[in-house]
Amino acid sequence: MLFQLIKKEVLLAKSYVLLMLAVCVAFPPFLLWRSPEQAGILGFVLSAVISVLMCLQYVSLKETQYPKAAALLCALPFSRRDLVLSKYLFSILIYLASCLIFGVETLLFPQLATVGLETPVLLFFVISLLLGVYLPVQYKLGYEKTRLFFAVFIMASPFIFSWSLAWKGPFLPEPLRHIHPLLLTAGSVAASAFVLALSSALSVRIYQQADLS
Amino acid sequence: MEPILEVCGLSKTYPGFSLKDISFSLPEGCITGLIGRNGAGKTTVLRAILGLMPADSGTVHFFNTESPETGARPGRAVRERLGIVLDGGGFYGDFSLEEMKNLTAAAYPSWDEDEYRRYLDRFSLRSRQKIRTLSKGMQMQYALALALSHHAEFLILDEPTSGLDPLIRAGILELLKEFMENGGRGVLFSTHITSDLDKIADLLILMDGGRLVFQEEKDLLLDRFRVVKGDPRDLNPAVEPLLGGITQTAFGFTAVTKQPDRLRALLPDCLLERPSIEDIMLHYLKGGK
Repeated sequence: MLFQLIKKEVLLAKSYVLLMLAVCVAFPPFLLWRSPEQAGILGFVLSAVISVLMCLQYVSLKETQYPKAAALLCALPFSRRDLVLSKYLFSILIYLASCLIFGVETLLFPQLATVGLETPVLLFFVISLLLGVYLPVQYKLGYEKTRLFFAVFIMASPFIFSWSLAWKGPFLPEPLRHIHPLLLTAGSVAASAFVLALSSALSVRIYQQADLS
Repeated sequence: MEPILEVCGLSKTYPGFSLKDISFSLPEGCITGLIGRNGAGKTTVLRAILGLMPADSGTVHFFNTESPETGARPGRAVRERLGIVLDGGGFYGDFSLEEMKNLTAAAYPSWDEDEYRRYLDRFSLRSRQKIRTLSKGMQMQYALALALSHHAEFLILDEPTSGLDPLIRAGILELLKEFMENGGRGVLFSTHITSDLDKIADLLILMDGGRLVFQEEKDLLLDRFRVVKGDPRDLNPAVEPLLGGITQTAFGFTAVTKQPDRLRALLPDCLLERPSIEDIMLHYLKGGK
């Protein structure tokens, strides 16, 4: 049942998912051409974050476009919990697809292979934090009111991008560089799981009380 | 007969509108029409019954089962036995019929693919067609195909015939009659097109301003009332209290009465006719008792 709900999210954002996957494919090689020394890490981080957030945003837009569809699904024997979880799992799926695409690209362009295992795991924690805050807020306030968050993100992205290109320091902040990589990876996975579990429980609680009239 | 749905003291307050203490009981084997003017609260009642909005108070029992706590929605086992059609379908317009069916079918362990295909053939619907390209009538036919393909026992339909041409409306009513033939089933549908209910309803529930005005068997209701037509000069203080919803022109008056025998005694020349549901609904909505 949950599988069909995740498939629903993919179908809703079908055109956007394909576009974002194309961005994941094209962006790292583009950066390799423009800024070879930062291409690996930046290409991966930016393409993954943008893909996840934009696909999620597009799904929410479509749900807003067809508000009665959510009501119908809730009247059918789907649980509201599954409806919420499918959004989280869809976002994780998009992230995994970005990782896979980047992994394949590092085989084709060995210059991109500057990213170790800890980077996708740490990035997953960052994405978990973003989803962890954004989704409960969206379930509470609705898509229209939370669009502002995305407008700010989109407007800030060129600045973040140019700042990232200019950044010559290490990828990891100072305190994290002294932690053993294995411990850092395991800690990030555990922290991500905790954030997502907490956030999804909160979203489910909000959605259980939602008025779908 | 076992009650298929029992609603007790359902209330919900919104800014500018409240549903006030709605109680009714529907036996199995009946098609029930939920009628009332636009904004009477019909859709709100249906959505509260389905648990799409938390009610402030009241309980809803389906199939004589344990009721969930106030404001909670029916359990999964109950929802598997319901067929739901929302006003306007409630589909993702970008999906094809097949994609929406796959999503819906995943929710029902008793989904019957052969039954679904039979309905698609009956309505000449193509699986690969996008839902947004369907006409309003075809969307409603598709909604019914989805609602009926898992052997539902109780159908809840919100304005299923609204805005449809007479041919499609007749087809939908025919389908509902066929659904009822198996016995042990029920239909509750809201509508403001009362002529549909003249043809198929067994029970009627009239709502106005968020309140339940009456719940009654259609035939008993139609037998009790009469439409009166007569000369306006016959209207006098002795006659007028017996009439409701009087409309008057230079040529005559039309009204509804609950006391045809007394009226006949007072106005031997008046014409008494069997009313339609619409006549009775208008009588009540214009303040008649």
